[in-house]
Formats: sequence, structure tokens, C-alpha cells
Amino acid sequence: MKRSKNINLARMRKGRGASFVLRPLAMGITVALMGCSSDEEVKVVSSVEDCVNNTQLDKAQCEAAYQKALAEAERTGPKYARLSQCESEFGSCRESSGGFWMPLMTGFMVASLLNDNDRRYHSYGYYNPVYRYSASGSRYYDRLMTADGQVIGRYGKSSYTVNKSAMDPKPKVTKTVSRGGFGAVASAKSNWGGGRSSSGRSGSWGG
Amino acid sequence: MLRLPINERPHWKERAQEFGFHFHTMYGEPYWDESAFYQFSLEQIEQDIEDPTEEIHAMCLDVVARVLEDETLLRRFRIPEQHWDFIRDSWKNGDPSLYSRLDFAYSGQGPAKLYENNADTPTSLYETGFWQWLWLQDNVDRRALPLQSDQFNSLQEKLVNRFRDLQFLTPGRELHFACCKDTLEDRGTVQYLQDCASEAGITNHFVFIEEIGCDAEGAFTDLDDQVITWMFKLYPWEFMFREEFGSLLGGNNVRWLEPPWKAILSNKALLPMLWKLFPGHPNLLPSFFEDELDKAEGYSELVKKPIFSREGANISIVRGGDVHSLSDGPYGEEGFIYQAMHSLPKFGQNFTLVGSWLVDDMAAGISIREDSNLITQDMSRYLPHIIL
Repeated sequence: MKRSKNINLARMRKGRGASFVLRPLAMGITVALMGCSSDEEVKVVSSVEDCVNNTQLDKAQCEAAYQKALAEAERTGPKYARLSQCESEFGSCRESSGGFWMPLMTGFMVASLLNDNDRRYHSYGYYNPVYRYSASGSRYYDRLMTADGQVIGRYGKSSYTVNKSAMDPKPKVTKTVSRGGFGAVASAKSNWGGGRSSSGRSGSWGG
Repeated sequence: MLRLPINERPHWKERAQEFGFHFHTMYGEPYWDESAFYQFSLEQIEQDIEDPTEEIHAMCLDVVARVLEDETLLRRFRIPEQHWDFIRDSWKNGDPSLYSRLDFAYSGQGPAKLYENNADTPTSLYETGFWQWLWLQDNVDRRALPLQSDQFNSLQEKLVNRFRDLQFLTPGRELHFACCKDTLEDRGTVQYLQDCASEAGITNHFVFIEEIGCDAEGAFTDLDDQVITWMFKLYPWEFMFREEFGSLLGGNNVRWLEPPWKAILSNKALLPMLWKLFPGHPNLLPSFFEDELDKAEGYSELVKKPIFSREGANISIVRGGDVHSLSDGPYGEEGFIYQAMHSLPKFGQNFTLVGSWLVDDMAAGISIREDSNLITQDMSRYLPHIIL
């Protein structure tokens, strides 16, 4: 057979409402889907001391983890142009080195059970910061969440069950200083309207 | 290779609505045309299209390696000098490619002749990989075509598999897709690739080319201020090189689809280079740079093509000292190349072009375009095909 054996038609359907995505807040909160095998139990620790007392990492590992989580918070954390915007969602905020406002990291996640492989991994591992959402009246009030808005659970529990994806690195967020630096050539060429519709609208820029 | 009439599927426009195929009719003219189809033998597909497609692709990669080592050639390809290292690095690093389309003049007999390589921003992908596949499926289901009908079209399967490979080669990054505003066709093509990437499990986003931003460090951003680290752009490299943000290329950590080295292949200067390296190859047409037209004296008719152009724009025919323009357009300021005249085959009143797709280096299927004119442009009709 020289053609695709099977195509997932459900994914290809684009009926009305099929691709509707609900993003309730600026952060785009997503509630973690609790599957079976893809879940993991994690501790959320707020300091090096908390980390030493409540996880299987030792002091040196906890120090390193804390520093990594802080750096990660700087890189991926929610960023706001105004202090008031940040405070309305997260209460306590600070000014970042890049000149915008970011919530204080409430803590970072460490897996509850570490096997030997995990221990080795954790000596150079990745630690995701979490933030305490505190917009009054929101259904996410007092929930812990990662930088992409994935909810970990209510603040203050001794451990949390999360989807493994909650442990993945988050994309970096920054402050855009300029837009529109691409597209000028296409725009110039589309003013040429010959051979197409009288509207002069551009067709494909592919070929 | 035959052109055969067939009844349209009775409710195909509702079907198009169901699957979000919104550009089957453009500017009031039919673009997707299922009142007929082309029929090939398996031998024609495998020997005349599939094998030459992979062979020519390999030859094209030889050209890339040569050009990147030679500053004279980089100038001939009109690559701005400030981007040479950007392109060279992407080649040295082995940046992976996704797809491309070779356009052939093929009549069913004799060798298919290469017209050009759309290696950077090929379109008509959705129509090929999905929509003509569905057309065959529907027509076999309603017994309008024989049960054993097949199609040279593993494009979607190969794209999904390729995206799985690309995710493995690009760990820890989310993929941004981009195309220009105000073009339904390009947005449709990009949506299709997003569907294939999603099928492969890749987290992906969309941003219009015009909306891409940059931060103080020169990183590219989307409208959510997320830093772009991996991007598919349905937008020509030669445009990006010459635009304001072009100066940031190479200075920020982005993986690109198609990779920057594709700028050498989507360039019509490829054609005379292929002829220089593989003279007399059965699937190549004799082609020449503007300053070596003395070598073209034996050819009574030459086709003059801009080094950079899209959708068959700015083509003319040269007979001796006589230049006859076949299509106009906004291209040509970077110069032209010349290709020996070889007309498209005619089926009834239609000139027919065969587009042969590659996913990475594997031949993956064909698309057929028809025009009443000798030049295939963006309004040429798309017809499905079968193998029987």
C-alpha cells in the first residue's frame, strides 16, 4: 500500500466548538488530569530546612535544589507589567531583574519517593517552583500551581499527587520590547495585486 | 497516466466544512476539483516518480554542501553575507528538516523532468496528505472506484512519524507555528501541520509572523511573551534575512523548521548548480546562470525564472533575442536563471504538473495541479489521483 494506512479522523474534524479551549485567567489555569500511571507523589518544600526535614535529599542536595528552583522561577515565573496586577493574583510579589513584577516562589517540588536512579538524577536534577494563587473569589484561591497554571493542590498539605508533566521544565517567559520585525517583505509584495483578485489581498507565501 | 472523469461526491462541500477545509474555492473559482482524477500504474509511480525524487533530493544535498563552502557561490545564490554563518552552522550541526516538494513535468512516459524544488515553504500539503486521501476513501466506500485502488500518499503518516523523531532530536522545547496574516490557505496548511505535531504528542502554539516580538536580549516571543525556542515558519528565509528581525537570527537559541540551510534549496540558482554537478541527468533540464548563457546557445527556447519567486510568478520565455512574459509578479530584483524549455504535458485542455513530496529524505506522495495556462500558479486547480 502506497498510502497512509490509517488517519485519526477525530483529530482532523474541525466542527464548531471542537477546538474550543477554556482559558479562564491570564495564566491559563489547567487542572491536572489524574490518570493512573502518569501520577507522582511530591512534597512541596519552602526552604532548605524544610527540604532536609521532609525529603530524602541531604543538605547539600537541598541547597542546590533551592538555588535551581529560584533560578527557574526567575526564568519561567509569571510576569506582570504592574505590581497591582501581580498582587491581585498572587498577593506577595517582587520586582525582577528584568524590570517586571513576579510572584514570590512559595516552594518547589521534590518527588516523595526516590529510588537510586532518582537520587543520582536529583543531585543535578530539575526543581519546579510553585506559586500560591490568592485572587479572592477565584475557585483557585489558595491553590498551589506551577508557572504554566497547572494546579498542584490546596496550599498546606504534606504531599500532593500530580501528573508527571507538572515536573517538566516550563517555557521561559520574558518582556517583549518590540513586535513586527518580520513580515515587511510579504507586505510590500502583496501590494502588488496583478494576476489575482481585484482586492489585492495576498495569496499564499508558500509555493 | 490517464485523466478520467468521475462524479463528485454528492455532499463533499459539507464534508469539507466538517473537516475545516475552507479554501477549496478561492476568489470565486474552484481550487479543489474532483470532477476528474489522474490514474497511474504502480510502475509509473515507483520507477518514474518515487525513485527519482529521492535521488534528486540526495543530489540537492550535495549542492548545499558545495555552495556553503564557496563564497562565490553564496553570492550567486544571493544569500546576504551577514547570514552565511547562520546557514553554515545549521548545516554543520545537521539541523533536521521536515518536508519539501519537487515539481516535475511528467506525462506518464519517459523521465520526469525537474522544474524546481520547493524546499522551504511548500503548500498544498493538507489537500495532499489528508483531503485527497479522504476523497479516495469515500469513493471506494461508495464503490465509485475499485476496491483495490491505491494512492501514492503516505504523507500524513510520514509527517506524524517525522514529528516524533523531531521531538526526540529537540528535547525540552515547545513548538511554535507561524504564517502570515490574511491568507486562509497558509493558515490551513499550518493548522494541518499542528494537527500532525499534536498527533505526535508535541506541545505546540501558533503566532502570526507579523506578531512575533523580541525581548531586550534578542529572544523571539509570542503574544503571551513566551520565549520561542523551536519554530516552524511558513515564510521564506530570503524574506526573513532582509527584514528588521533578521539581524537577530543566529544570535538567539531557536531551532527552525525548515532549517536555515533550506535557503540554498528553495533558491532557483539550485537548478543551474544541479546541471553543473550532474550534467545530462535524465531527470534534469539544462539550466544556466545569466552570465553563462553562451552555453545555452543550442537551445531555441529558454524559460527565464527569478532566483527568488513563489507560485510561478515573473516567468518568461526567451526565443533568441525575443522575451515573452508568461506571468507577472513582484519578483526578480535578485536576478534570474534560465532553464531549457520543456512544456508541461497536456491532458485535454489542461497542462498538468506533478508535485512530489518528501518528508525528510523519503518520497511520501504526489499532488497534481492543472491549469489552462502553461504556468502553474496559485489558482491552478488541484486534482486527486489513484494508482490502479
